[in-house]
Amino acid sequence: MPERAARRVVVTGLGAVSSLGLGVEALVAAVRAGRSGIGPVEQFDANGFDHTLAGEVRDFVADDHLLRTDPARWGRSGQFAAAAARMAVADAGADPRALSAGRTASCFGTTNGESQVMERLAAELVAHGPGAVRPELADQADAGRIATAVAAELDLGGEALTFGTACAAANYAIGYAFDLLRNGRTDAALCGGADASNRATHAGFHRLGALAQDVPRPFDEERDGIVTAEGGVALLLETLEAALARGARIYAEILGYGVTCDASHMTNPDTASIAECIRLAQRDAGIKPEEVDYICAHGTGTRANDSTEVAAVRAVFGDTPPPISSIKSMLGHTMGAASGFGALVSCAAVHEGFLPPNATLRTVDPQFGPGVDAVGSVARKAEVRIAQNHGFAFGGNNAITLFGKVTN
Amino acid sequence: MTATFAGSPHSVADMSIVDIVSCGVFSAAGRGLAPLAEALVCGTTALPADAVEPDWPPVEVRPLGGFDPGALLGRKGLSRLTRTDQLAMAVCADALVGPGPTDTKPAYTDPAHTGIVLGTATGSTAAIVDFFRDTLEQARPYMVNPAHFPGTLMNSAAGKTAIRQGLTGLNATVSGGAMASMNALRYARSMLIEGRARRLVAGGVEELSLLAAWAWHRGLGLATRSALAEGGAMFALDAPGGKGPVLGRLLAGESSFSDPAKGLPVVSTQLAACVRTALEHSGLAPGDVSVIVPGAGGRRGWAAVEERALRAVFTGAAVPRLHTHHVLGETYSAGTALNLAALLAGWRQPAAESRADERHVAVLTSVGFDGSVGCLVVAHPDFT
Repeated sequence: MPERAARRVVVTGLGAVSSLGLGVEALVAAVRAGRSGIGPVEQFDANGFDHTLAGEVRDFVADDHLLRTDPARWGRSGQFAAAAARMAVADAGADPRALSAGRTASCFGTTNGESQVMERLAAELVAHGPGAVRPELADQADAGRIATAVAAELDLGGEALTFGTACAAANYAIGYAFDLLRNGRTDAALCGGADASNRATHAGFHRLGALAQDVPRPFDEERDGIVTAEGGVALLLETLEAALARGARIYAEILGYGVTCDASHMTNPDTASIAECIRLAQRDAGIKPEEVDYICAHGTGTRANDSTEVAAVRAVFGDTPPPISSIKSMLGHTMGAASGFGALVSCAAVHEGFLPPNATLRTVDPQFGPGVDAVGSVARKAEVRIAQNHGFAFGGNNAITLFGKVTN
Repeated sequence: MTATFAGSPHSVADMSIVDIVSCGVFSAAGRGLAPLAEALVCGTTALPADAVEPDWPPVEVRPLGGFDPGALLGRKGLSRLTRTDQLAMAVCADALVGPGPTDTKPAYTDPAHTGIVLGTATGSTAAIVDFFRDTLEQARPYMVNPAHFPGTLMNSAAGKTAIRQGLTGLNATVSGGAMASMNALRYARSMLIEGRARRLVAGGVEELSLLAAWAWHRGLGLATRSALAEGGAMFALDAPGGKGPVLGRLLAGESSFSDPAKGLPVVSTQLAACVRTALEHSGLAPGDVSVIVPGAGGRRGWAAVEERALRAVFTGAAVPRLHTHHVLGETYSAGTALNLAALLAGWRQPAAESRADERHVAVLTSVGFDGSVGCLVVAHPDFT
């Protein structure tokens, strides 16, 4: 194993475009109160669907947030990412000119890239045939433009990289940004994830029978599926040294991360692979399981995910795992942004000292066995020294990030 | 820091050198490196797309040679695989197992510490568009084929390839338009140096699709005499410190960004800086570079952006360019991976057929429509 460089990496800014509000303050207040962002689908014509609820971002006007670039250059996912990144920089009290002048990377994750662009391309193809494709629209289809939108909006010169590792993608992006900073390959990074509500994702989960009747109920005995959702989230990462030097507020330190691949099934989660991912992340961070105070679960609310996730947690933590909750109980499943929102909330939990709720939980599934401490429907006050943030995906991609209080 | 890796196995530079152990490639030249080396001399044939398929636009395409998915992957479950899935699975299998006894392949693969890093702009465009189409045209919008849903995800090909090969190590899919496979190779190199995997099969694939072909045509995206093509190349990359034979060594990979709205000359300046940084990280100077493989030549206007940067960096004696478009065509997200395959194919030819001074260090560059730029520095196995 290569020797570790000395640079420690901290989160100093958070930004969010979510169904629970714009900006970290609105989102965290809503999470602490256990509010729901789920409502009727508005981003696509939901006629003909049996399930018509989604966690959509309402009242988002990209023009209000994007200062440097014309929002029309970007699809909805790119707009979300760019707006969230702007917010993260402002939240950090960082000088945008300094970020622009230095080496600042942009690393974002997504499941479906610019899915609304694809949806429009497909609709126009159906209506007018392939020969009528609008090249200026097709130009916006690359998923890579999500990280680019952030880089262009903040006038960054560092690398811009978009991860397509589905619903674990934001954790991949955060992990990579962490590596870049730790090794001195970049001075700062904006990282996170973004996805937009669209009819293909909704139809796909609908057809798989994976959509909840009303709201997602992670860890509940009557949980019956996910609710599709959207959003964008960004974290500003700096080195501890740089953050201290400018007197920045530090939410949390990134302690490490881990990734594994199931290589067994495209859509069924895998207990052993998730358990291994937890171990890898903890080894990377140099921590022991008993040091983890909170698990920000992948917690989709499907029967398979939650029972697999609890089994994997048990395999590592034994019979008394730390408190666990899923913010998907409030946001729904924001796909590629999901583990980014988990990271944001984990940072807030460490910084403010609370355990986010399982807002829709009524009765913890007894099949999980004894000792599972699923946080109830409102937040619980607690010191969180280390939070473990899960992100799992179709395709067998698992990624886990660890956030902790800055200690000596 | 100098590139004296042959004689000093524990130097700092050593820990940043990633070995290219083997290559799987399907291109317009066919399967593997040998036909690719041959075609670099003779070229491949481009055909008018609309003469073959009536719905296609009047652009030229270079058909993929020797790619029979049923024969390569088996017929079972084939219809559930997108073209991108099929390409990735076949290319990765060739990188790990080798298409024949004469081709390179790693001696042994440890599946728990081996993973995949695939570059793709969007995943399978055809699969995504078809799936959306079903939501619009079926009696109910959710009456889509559930077996086709995973294929609409960007990480479908990497996930299915991992299942086929049983690889549980780090598995990633990265995007970036024309930069996607360069991003995959750069990211894989970083992860190997980080110790997050021991071997990564990294590269990119690109499928031809009707909608994309029309978009290229109507957007006037293709350079004159450029043909669209598909294919892919993936390379087994080993963590620093390997002992076995190699096809080449990845010394550095850099990428940065400049908003094209600030002007294309600024993008060139950014690429020039990127190349300089990559060379510096390799412990090399521009004068050490024996061949340049430009990546943007197939895209109208972008070859000039790239060339301006290269001229700014390589101010001394003219460095030969390895041009690949007459063979590979424009393969967009797979472009850098296929260019790397072309470079290695040439290097594997008997020494008499290539000049000794071209067998040292190569610089591969590319530029994306979005203003992303990147560079790889690759050393010949004999270079010390």
